[in-house]
Amino acid sequence: MTTAAREGSAEAPLRARGVEVEIGGTPILRGADLELARGELLAVVGPNGAGKSTLVRAVSGLQPLAAGEVRWSGRELGEMRGRDLARVRAFVPQRMPVPAGVTVREAVTIGRSSHLRPLRRLSAHDQDAIGAAMERTGVTRFAGRALTTLSGGELQRVQIAVGLAQETPVLIADEPTSQLDLGATVGIATLLRSLADDGLAVLLVVHDLALAAALADRAVIVAEGRTVAAGEPGAILTSERLASIWHAEAHLSEHDGRTALHVAWTERAEASRGAS
Amino acid sequence: MARRALVFAALAVAVIAASVVSLALGAINVPLSETIDILLGKGTGGPHEQIVETLRLPRTVEALAVGAALGVAGAILQGALANPLASPDVIGVTGGAGFGAILIIILFPGSIALLPVGALAFGLLAASLVFAIAWSGANRGNTGKVILAGIAVLSLFTAGTTGLLAAYPERAPSAIFFIAGGLTSSGWDELQTIWPYFAVGFICAAILIRPLDRLALGDDVAASLGSRPHLIRLGAAIAAALLAAASAAIAGLLGFLGLVVPHVVRMAGGTSSQTFVVPASALGGAALLAAADTLARTLRAPIEMPVGPFMVILGVPLFLWLLRKVV
Repeated sequence: MTTAAREGSAEAPLRARGVEVEIGGTPILRGADLELARGELLAVVGPNGAGKSTLVRAVSGLQPLAAGEVRWSGRELGEMRGRDLARVRAFVPQRMPVPAGVTVREAVTIGRSSHLRPLRRLSAHDQDAIGAAMERTGVTRFAGRALTTLSGGELQRVQIAVGLAQETPVLIADEPTSQLDLGATVGIATLLRSLADDGLAVLLVVHDLALAAALADRAVIVAEGRTVAAGEPGAILTSERLASIWHAEAHLSEHDGRTALHVAWTERAEASRGAS
Repeated sequence: MARRALVFAALAVAVIAASVVSLALGAINVPLSETIDILLGKGTGGPHEQIVETLRLPRTVEALAVGAALGVAGAILQGALANPLASPDVIGVTGGAGFGAILIIILFPGSIALLPVGALAFGLLAASLVFAIAWSGANRGNTGKVILAGIAVLSLFTAGTTGLLAAYPERAPSAIFFIAGGLTSSGWDELQTIWPYFAVGFICAAILIRPLDRLALGDDVAASLGSRPHLIRLGAAIAAALLAAASAAIAGLLGFLGLVVPHVVRMAGGTSSQTFVVPASALGGAALLAAADTLARTLRAPIEMPVGPFMVILGVPLFLWLLRKVV
């Protein structure tokens, strides 16, 4: 191993500093930092429009930076080609389009295509990677079904399988549970947690703060285009921050690995508490 | 998988059957066995050999090449733009090629040999115009932008064509055959000029198969896999423009084929995976055009009917039947 490679392997998989993004001349991110360690599940939380999705898209190379620095295992993002990026991170979008006439297996196979040269066929190793991705996400039993026939939860599993087939050290998912019911959310959360436990670094945009608190090793709060806090979710998601950033009177509680967000859902609830 | 292999085999048989029939039948019918002998170089040097080798072989090859090119152009455009209505019309090629051909027919009737060149040049010019508009500024390469730019450019060139025809009504009849779309028995000359465009178009299409499959799962997944979605779309549009403009240069305006063949192939194969759809559309388009051209010149032989309207009349009922059955 060369010295450079050894230094590279000691680097965090992803480190971003002072990321700024403008879309159509409007600044969306004004200075965001992010650091993701090996085998860590990091949740990006924040109110609507804070720039959470833009941040994970920017570090993934899906959105051009206006300023700042992003390094993947020490390599500068701007110097990496699409194929290099496809080897270090997989990006799972919030909701992929559902084309007609594509089966689950075909979709996951497409997820493997970054490893193939043009016109080359799948190798045995590629087939194994596709099979493992499907097995891990629990989609093997409906591998032959068309994407158009799947439920929201099944589709989200397929999307994660497409990402896993890329066999990257980092998986980035943009609000994978935002459109799912309770049971499907639990299923996806369990899957993502177990992937992180097995050494995959997972970067997750998530709206549900109780879910973030239960699932994530660390969280980053994004507000108005800036990262304002990072750390253990229970420690940084304080009532004060929920009030100042989300404008809600609420607090997180945790008991036996179960989390809840206690919210004053109406102004009347806030008022009655004030009176008592 | 078995179903796809079956469809593929059926299409391959259709291509071979259509080619042999196209070589054998015409104003003079050559027996099938003799046709095959002539093809294998075992001909006896009679007039039949002359007919098959110098008239029908080039025409059949043209039909296969144009049919395959339009099928592939439609398949990759529909994939790239994620729009079932996409065909070479949508990127302006057909409108431009029509204008270029009519320009030669009406303003330079003495240089009719320039017609394929005019069609090719203006077809590519129109497509370049669409690309220049659609792949610049905000949202470059956005599907809606490509289609709107394409329809605007198409309208522009169609207006030019109509204007030319209205200004020189006495020369309009000679333009009708080109607009309707049809092949001629004019030997190898046209193919000799045009083949490089077909070759580049087909090679690009083959390379784009896998990137287009990625695009089916959305721009974000394609980007995750290291592709740049707007460049895939541009590549597909350029390949389709080359194939469609080269086709128009040889056979006039046969837009219908490029629109319908990929749909029929998808419905028959039960998949929209480009690994299947692109080559199957090539076979389907080739078989359809070779068969339709044979019918068009034999039904009322020795009078030749233009293959374009003929193919539409034959193809639309089949298409509508499949559409009812599948969707």
